[in-house]
Amino acid sequence: MSLSIILAVVLGIGVGYFLIPDCFFSYTGIITDIGLCLLLFFAGMDIGKQKGVFKDLKKMGFRILLVPLMIIIGSIFGSIVGGFLLKMPINESGAVGAGLGWYTLSSVMLTNYSTELSAIAFLTNVVREIIALIVVPLIARYIGYLECIAPCGATAMDTALPVVSRSTNSQTTIISFVSGVILSLVVPILVSIMIKI
Amino acid sequence: MNYTVLVYFLLLALGAIISHKGLISDNFSKKLGPIQNFCLLFLLFTMGVRIGLDKKVISSFFQIGAKATVLAVFSILFSIILVRLVRNMVLRDEGEVNEP
Repeated sequence: MSLSIILAVVLGIGVGYFLIPDCFFSYTGIITDIGLCLLLFFAGMDIGKQKGVFKDLKKMGFRILLVPLMIIIGSIFGSIVGGFLLKMPINESGAVGAGLGWYTLSSVMLTNYSTELSAIAFLTNVVREIIALIVVPLIARYIGYLECIAPCGATAMDTALPVVSRSTNSQTTIISFVSGVILSLVVPILVSIMIKI
Repeated sequence: MNYTVLVYFLLLALGAIISHKGLISDNFSKKLGPIQNFCLLFLLFTMGVRIGLDKKVISSFFQIGAKATVLAVFSILFSIILVRLVRNMVLRDEGEVNEP
């Protein structure tokens, strides 16, 4: 899937650069809006299938919601601090951070706002996922199990879950999954809010 | 809350409720993954087209990559620090903690 994602983006860049006339640019906005609505509806269906999440939440207590909450605040604030060093506007850096590692959705959501920001969001969240997969075992070893969930962001429920599971224990794996589901739910809302600030 | 956020939230919630209540058939449920992948790849292709059409973005691609790395590192660092701050509250009463 990762290869397909990169291929789709690279193919699109090639087609846009070499084949399509500039006047096509305005139509891509409408196509993106319709496609995004469909994708969110199907993503919701996928999340609704995870029936165990609410049982896990009740079992472990609602205090585990502090984990996704801290990841949201840390990701957005960290991104704003990084953006400040790069002289980026707060709303743009904050919106990139609000992607929480879900690079496909955040970049597509920002594509109508600015193509450059969309590319930054895509690469930022791809880099985040790559770093997460590398550092999770190190964080588990030298810092703590719970902190392993932080770099994964929204991918804590899917791509990064096997790494978290291998590096930590069953309790952390459940928290990771619940955290990933919650973060995936809030990404579209947070990105839309942050970019309008 | 602006209109776009509300639409996104309603679509997500509607999808989640339909699926959670079991209103979709097993057959459709199995096809959900491939349908999502198709939508996603199509959207990413469209995003790529927009990037390709924007010559300014193409010419500053490496600069964008450097910016992306800085943003990713800071996002990760601050989220780790904040999760660290609440770890004792989250893990209290839990017996299965086996950490360094």
